[in-house]
Amino acid sequence: MGKILVLAEHRQGVLRDISYEMMAIAPKLAEEMGAELETLLIGSGMDEMAKELSGYGAKVNVIDDPVFENFNAEKYQKALSALIDNMKPAVLIAPHTAQGVDFMPSLAVEKKLPLVAEAIDLTYEDSTLKATRTMYSGKVNATVAFKPADTCLVTIREGAVEAPEPAAAGDVEKIESPLKEDLSYRQFVEYIEAEVGDVDITQSEILVAVGRGLKEDKNLPDIEELAMAIKADIAGSRAATDAGWIPHDRQVGTSGKTVKPKLYLALGISGAFQHVAGMKGAKTVVAVNKDPEAPIFNVADYAIVDDMFKVVPALKEKLKEMKG
Amino acid sequence: MKSFVCIKYVPDTSEAEVKVNSDGKTVDDSKFSYDINDADNYAVEESVLIKEDKGGEVDVVSIGPKQSEVMIRMALAKGCDRATRIEDERIANHDPLMVARVLAGAIKDQEFDLVFTGCWAEDDGHMSTGVALAEELGVNHASMVKKVEVLDGKVRAHRELEGGLIEVVELELPAVLTIQTGINEPRYAPIRGIRQAQKKELNVLNLDDLGVDPSEVNLDASGVILESLYIPEIESAAEFIEGEPEEKAEKLASILVKGGLV
Amino acid sequence: MSIENQTFTEKYDLLGCIQCGRCTGGCPVTVRAELNVRHFVDQAYDEGKLDELARLAEIWDCTACHTCAVRCPKGLKPLEVLIGLRSMIVESGKVEPTVRDALQSVLLEGNPWEKARAARTDWMEGLDVKVAEEGQEVENLIFTCCTIAYDPRVQVVAKNMVKLLNQAGIDYAFLPEDESCCGSEVFTIGEEGLFEMLVEDNTEYLNNFNAGRIVTLSPHCYTTYKTHFPDIRIPLYHYTQLLDELVQEGSLSWKGELQKKIVYHDPCYLGKQGGIYDEPRRLLKSIPGVELLEFDRRRERSLCCEGGGGKMWIESQSTEERLADTRIKDARELGADIVAAACPFCVLTLEDAMKGLGYEEEMRVAEITELLGELIEA
Repeated sequence: MGKILVLAEHRQGVLRDISYEMMAIAPKLAEEMGAELETLLIGSGMDEMAKELSGYGAKVNVIDDPVFENFNAEKYQKALSALIDNMKPAVLIAPHTAQGVDFMPSLAVEKKLPLVAEAIDLTYEDSTLKATRTMYSGKVNATVAFKPADTCLVTIREGAVEAPEPAAAGDVEKIESPLKEDLSYRQFVEYIEAEVGDVDITQSEILVAVGRGLKEDKNLPDIEELAMAIKADIAGSRAATDAGWIPHDRQVGTSGKTVKPKLYLALGISGAFQHVAGMKGAKTVVAVNKDPEAPIFNVADYAIVDDMFKVVPALKEKLKEMKG
Repeated sequence: MKSFVCIKYVPDTSEAEVKVNSDGKTVDDSKFSYDINDADNYAVEESVLIKEDKGGEVDVVSIGPKQSEVMIRMALAKGCDRATRIEDERIANHDPLMVARVLAGAIKDQEFDLVFTGCWAEDDGHMSTGVALAEELGVNHASMVKKVEVLDGKVRAHRELEGGLIEVVELELPAVLTIQTGINEPRYAPIRGIRQAQKKELNVLNLDDLGVDPSEVNLDASGVILESLYIPEIESAAEFIEGEPEEKAEKLASILVKGGLV
Repeated sequence: MSIENQTFTEKYDLLGCIQCGRCTGGCPVTVRAELNVRHFVDQAYDEGKLDELARLAEIWDCTACHTCAVRCPKGLKPLEVLIGLRSMIVESGKVEPTVRDALQSVLLEGNPWEKARAARTDWMEGLDVKVAEEGQEVENLIFTCCTIAYDPRVQVVAKNMVKLLNQAGIDYAFLPEDESCCGSEVFTIGEEGLFEMLVEDNTEYLNNFNAGRIVTLSPHCYTTYKTHFPDIRIPLYHYTQLLDELVQEGSLSWKGELQKKIVYHDPCYLGKQGGIYDEPRRLLKSIPGVELLEFDRRRERSLCCEGGGGKMWIESQSTEERLADTRIKDARELGADIVAAACPFCVLTLEDAMKGLGYEEEMRVAEITELLGELIEA
């Protein structure tokens, strides 16, 4: 029954990982619903990306028009609004990203359609679409059911699932752009690249990352000593960079960098999903946190439930000793 | 410059144990501490900074219980001018689209240039209310804003994208901006300021007072049902290192060194 | 004339200053920071200069140890001039985020540690402890203190007090979770409005108990209540006074002995400000085997650990040696096995210094109740 439409995301000419990750959730749902799965790309000069996306077997619908040269939430909303009218998908899946969150809620209001934001899974049971999402610092899961609707709108969390390998080639179909003219009321101005600091943490072999648990910058010297002892670079969670303890270009997480070090020491980091999404590619994760319920432990290989200030000084001494 | 700032009173669960109540739909909040939602605190500061720079007024709007008034008074002490607290059990507050519609009810008949919200709430984290609110009000919006420049009839917003990239957009006013944490350094609200702010207007309204039809924002109106809450199974494969802090440190050091990890 | 309308000069009695310099001469912070308190007292006459003075970073270096007040021949409290300047910054709202969060937490949760009020008595879990009910008649009403209630390192103070009081078999009860911060640090940070509120609320709250006396576990609470809460009707004690009394009358005695050299560090809030010097020493001497050593800088000359004056939330710009480091080095030179204090802040800062210096193997920092608690266990 019906159609599931997955809106892929791209930025500066590249498909973003979330576009593939959604293809881990959507095909399973399509099967459960007995629905047809199609994807959607909106942009300008989309041939390469369309080809790449078609590797997942689903038909790729492409709106390829200069008017979409740069991302603009209002334009996306207009295009999606028209597509919903024309294609009447049963489900529209979009990324829960800085792009997705900028048009999906307004689209839902405009079209009077239900929305579940930041789902980590979707299922179809008893003729009902259900989404799983998290609440309360990732400590609680919620099951949210859609009431019957013409189109159910969902955004999917980044990094919630592994992206599958491409399977078979699918068709690419160009759709005429429902929007022809620029919008005067919202205009893209420019992208500003993040400042590059002295250390590029995306290249680091070992990272010592601190979070809210650091409490104050006067506690940094211990961390620096530890990092020095194991030749690590220092990184931080959003809380640590917001507080000014750690430079912004060393922030790990969805709004910062994605890192893949050999070893990642998370100290006083609770492991909010936005952080974990940026570091789960680390080979070995060590977490020290005094809250035994901290979600960071879910991704850790070695875990210590304790006050980081009790563990770190001893740890740095032992490491110096053993390495010395 | 006339602004609104929408704020939410939320529990701090970053270090607290969270338990689901026997109804399976709510959590036990008896041990929680509550405060203004983090991003909303930055939104308040940004609204006050812009007022201090450009002149004008800031109105606070919040949906929440009587206890949340201390948070509202703090916002008033920081420089906001008046406040509306909405309390009504009929609001389907699990659905940000319903919440946005209620907030719009408190704003839409008034003149305004900017509406500020936090970009996400720490408790339910939908990241949807502000953008939905813009559509309800029929105005422009930008979400996840990390810098605001007010121009003539326009606002230039720096949106924070993944990876630290900034997308700069220009919006015609009026507009809704959902504010990201770290945009500024929120000030402290001294108690004397809070006491003086007692003189500022704080209206407590329900849906009827707002002229919002309850059947448009209640559980029936919402397109989604919160079926259940549950504590996720810990998928952790972590090896938990036990002992006194120093023992733990020693064991870990030995694992790291012997495993060739450092 | 209401207090609100007092000028700065009137409020801090600046005209009483004879600029003798004893305040700055004795100030322990001068060895590591730019702070010259006499200069501030001198300059603050000029109302026009206050804003400029308030913006100087060194006003946050004061630890409120009260050495200047103890030494002032005119009976002034020079440190309060600094607190007055701090409060100008607090009123503007432009304080350090750590200070902001601590103050806000006192207002919202009754403690500066950003912990839930509902968790204030979590430390009692599993203990046989008596908790006071409003209106209940009780001889010894125990005021726990925010830091002791929440900081896992010093919760042991409260836990051991329970053991000691149970052992002594006296009538006592701890305040329940609605106990609120005494405001010691709120006062020294200069949040005058919040402090006034705490004075009002806590006075009313404590007077509601039908208690023989209030026994505080932290000297900060003790001195703050004694000095700034004139309307508390119930006599105030520090726990060292109560335990000393119990030992003297034979209600408490120690099992075993402690063959250690202990040097006692006089906490500023207990000694210089509270006038309690002998009770803690007698308590330590009552332990069989203990050899009590003395610092050169002791009693009213005791060297501040830099834990007070809001310094738990404000880091000094100075990179000079911390006073706590000096203290620990002195203790080591004396040959002390244990540095004992009767204050949660002193224990935290001194232990931090000891670990930083790498002396953990040879020395120990202990709160007095920690030592006593170990000696009543069978």
